[in-house]
Amino acid sequence: MKKFRMLKSAFRRGIVPTVISSILFAGLSASGIAVAESIEDFPSKPIRFVTPYPPGGSHSLHAGIITTVAEPYFGQPMISVIRSGGGGVVGAANVAEADPDGYTLLFGDPTINSLRPQVEKLPFEIDDFVPVARINYSPAVFVARADAPFSTMEEMVQFARDNPDDLIYSSDNVNGWTYTVFELLKVKTGTTMRGVEFGGGGPAITNLLGGNTMAYAGAPSVVADHVESGALKALCVTDNKPWPTMPDVKPCPELGYDVVFQFWRGVLVPAKTPQPIIDKLSAGFAELVKDKGFLRLISSINSKVDFADHETFSKLFAKEVEDMAAIAKSME
Amino acid sequence: MFTVITIVAAGTGLLAGIFVGALPGLTATMAVAVLAPFTFFIDVTIGIPFLLGVYKGAIYGGSIPAITINTPGTAASAATAIDGHALARRGRIRLALETSLFASVLADLLSTIVLIMVAAPLASIAIRFGPPEFVLLYLFALTMIAGVSGDDFVKGLFSAVAGLLLAVIGLDPMSGYQRFTFGVTELMGGISLVPLLIGMFALSEILIQAEKGRRTQETVAGHGGKGLSWRQARALIPVSLRSSVVGTGLGALPGLGAEIACWISYGLAKRRSKRPQRFGKGSLAGISAAEAGNNAVVPAALIPMMVFGIPGDTITAVLLGAFMAHDLMPGPLLFERSPVLIYSFFAVLILTNILLIAFGLFAIRHMRHITRIPPGLLYPAVTVLCFAGAFSVNNSSFDVVIMLAGGLIGYGMRKIDLPIPPLVIALLLASGLENALRQSLMLSGGTLDIFYTRPIALTLMLLLGASVSMLIWRQWNLRKSRSRPTKRVIQ
Repeated sequence: MKKFRMLKSAFRRGIVPTVISSILFAGLSASGIAVAESIEDFPSKPIRFVTPYPPGGSHSLHAGIITTVAEPYFGQPMISVIRSGGGGVVGAANVAEADPDGYTLLFGDPTINSLRPQVEKLPFEIDDFVPVARINYSPAVFVARADAPFSTMEEMVQFARDNPDDLIYSSDNVNGWTYTVFELLKVKTGTTMRGVEFGGGGPAITNLLGGNTMAYAGAPSVVADHVESGALKALCVTDNKPWPTMPDVKPCPELGYDVVFQFWRGVLVPAKTPQPIIDKLSAGFAELVKDKGFLRLISSINSKVDFADHETFSKLFAKEVEDMAAIAKSME
Repeated sequence: MFTVITIVAAGTGLLAGIFVGALPGLTATMAVAVLAPFTFFIDVTIGIPFLLGVYKGAIYGGSIPAITINTPGTAASAATAIDGHALARRGRIRLALETSLFASVLADLLSTIVLIMVAAPLASIAIRFGPPEFVLLYLFALTMIAGVSGDDFVKGLFSAVAGLLLAVIGLDPMSGYQRFTFGVTELMGGISLVPLLIGMFALSEILIQAEKGRRTQETVAGHGGKGLSWRQARALIPVSLRSSVVGTGLGALPGLGAEIACWISYGLAKRRSKRPQRFGKGSLAGISAAEAGNNAVVPAALIPMMVFGIPGDTITAVLLGAFMAHDLMPGPLLFERSPVLIYSFFAVLILTNILLIAFGLFAIRHMRHITRIPPGLLYPAVTVLCFAGAFSVNNSSFDVVIMLAGGLIGYGMRKIDLPIPPLVIALLLASGLENALRQSLMLSGGTLDIFYTRPIALTLMLLLGASVSMLIWRQWNLRKSRSRPTKRVIQ
């Protein structure tokens, strides 16, 4: 009772409210300092590097290499997180909803970041992400089975023209990479061919090799060995110049088919991530891609580096979003 | 090519794999995926054997908690839990664990020999399996539900339909439309299988035990009972070999993993068994079939991966990446370019098999004591494992919700005697079946001809027909033989 009276008088004299408010104030200012510190000391904990496709594809392969060599360039370990599903939508949506603090990165590409948000209703928008760094890009290579009734791009298009809907090809996902280049080819040549969506490059090439389909278009690292072994015939590459590891394959535009699609792999963060953090990440990746071990591993998977930092990548990305709008329109 | 370090690496990988596999929620896929990048910078003769060891160890390791605490360590050991845990509950935990080890090693050996001898021809047959063939295979696998439905087939069907419906949740595999996600981002990837499995098998079991409370303090034989005798082992060889053949065949097909193979070989073994009524109650043949079925998949899954560069499941996909990082591009040119290396990997596979016996026996010596832990300590500990395991699959707290829901639903199902395995099998098969069916119809342009105009599909179709009519005939016979004695009573 005595204690209570003391407390009561203390309250009246304003001691308790002062203590409470000062604790509150200290707490607030401390948290304010913490925010300031986290930008200054970024990163102070491991960074999650999210791949939105299942393991084994070119994306997860690159992600494995990047996260392995990352630690010295960021001062913190980078953890490879694989969240596949819905052709990349699940992983991308997860990153879009993550805190914009630079600790969750998306390993994105043109289909999931710029094409699909324009043509589909997805749980995220293009603007939910900010481009940080482009690692590289590759074109798709149109290939046909060795026993297909055509051996060149011209013959394939002629076959499709003579036999509407009889040409069956392996596709990946609706509005995916392979899907899009075939749609473009169909639109530009006015032909009809039938694509079967297998969900990804792995099953797509399996069904091509197994004789269930006749053609496919995919990354050089996926098709090159089968072309060399004679199981597949390379028709053309969706770029303006030949691809270094397959120099004999002509660019599609050179053959008269205006199908160009460069598939980049790059790092993006949720929108509203503070600029200093974006700059730090971009600078970190710029150094990372010069790492000797990184370069050795990248070349061992038939890939290469075409780095673009935050600024360049943002410009390229903005332009690509427009290009994709045109592509989406031409596919209609 | 062969050095002591290679053997040490393979052994270390095996141990790490057994450990990870034995922890519920840490899957074989994750173990290989997490450890693969570290091997990129190590010499190829160390890195790849290490990963192969991890892969093999993790698939085996999953059976340990399945038997001891009814929590499948990986999805591949779900079928093992049925008979394995039933046996453990009767105090014969050592027998269950040793049976599982015996079948695993035998199946692994057989499958490895197949890999070494006929990898190329088998792969060229396997690759001819297109969507229509897969549809029929999935349908065939679905008929296995009859084998795990308990006494009442209708209840089994009911549970299976629930599983099929659960599988519909998520993004449409072909168009990407959201189905029954109610705007929840976490549901877009579908119901994650492993958390659900942990909930349905382990948590529901704990709830049942908690309900029994102190009324029935089960005291089990402290030392875990006798082990597997030579006589018993010999008797299990036929069923193990048959299941190994099933596992090897399914493993070689890109896309069908160990988690499906274990159910198919379990179901087939029950059908062929002279005493099918003992399945589900601690049958040694049941344990052998499930374990031989899932372990045979491991070497067999390497067949399409090595010969065509086609990974059948996510684990082999990661392995493919590791091979590539070492300049070993799996695919048509692999055997021409680096034959010595490849055959030394095969030797490593055989060697890890011998090591598996040693490590397995060592683990069993200690694991069988788990039944001596008082339930008051064991079950809370397992509950913690359930939560941690469910969370760690995708680092997602939503998976914990799925695990809890699975636990409650599983508890309800046990209460009304609705069998759980049919639900799990249906959930496991549904998405593959849907994909394959829709792809087949796209290939054929909408007609069903595609299922009988292709030679392999026609063969499978006939097999499926024969299998289904056998099932019906058996059921009919069973009912007749059952109704006879009652008649006599009436007379």
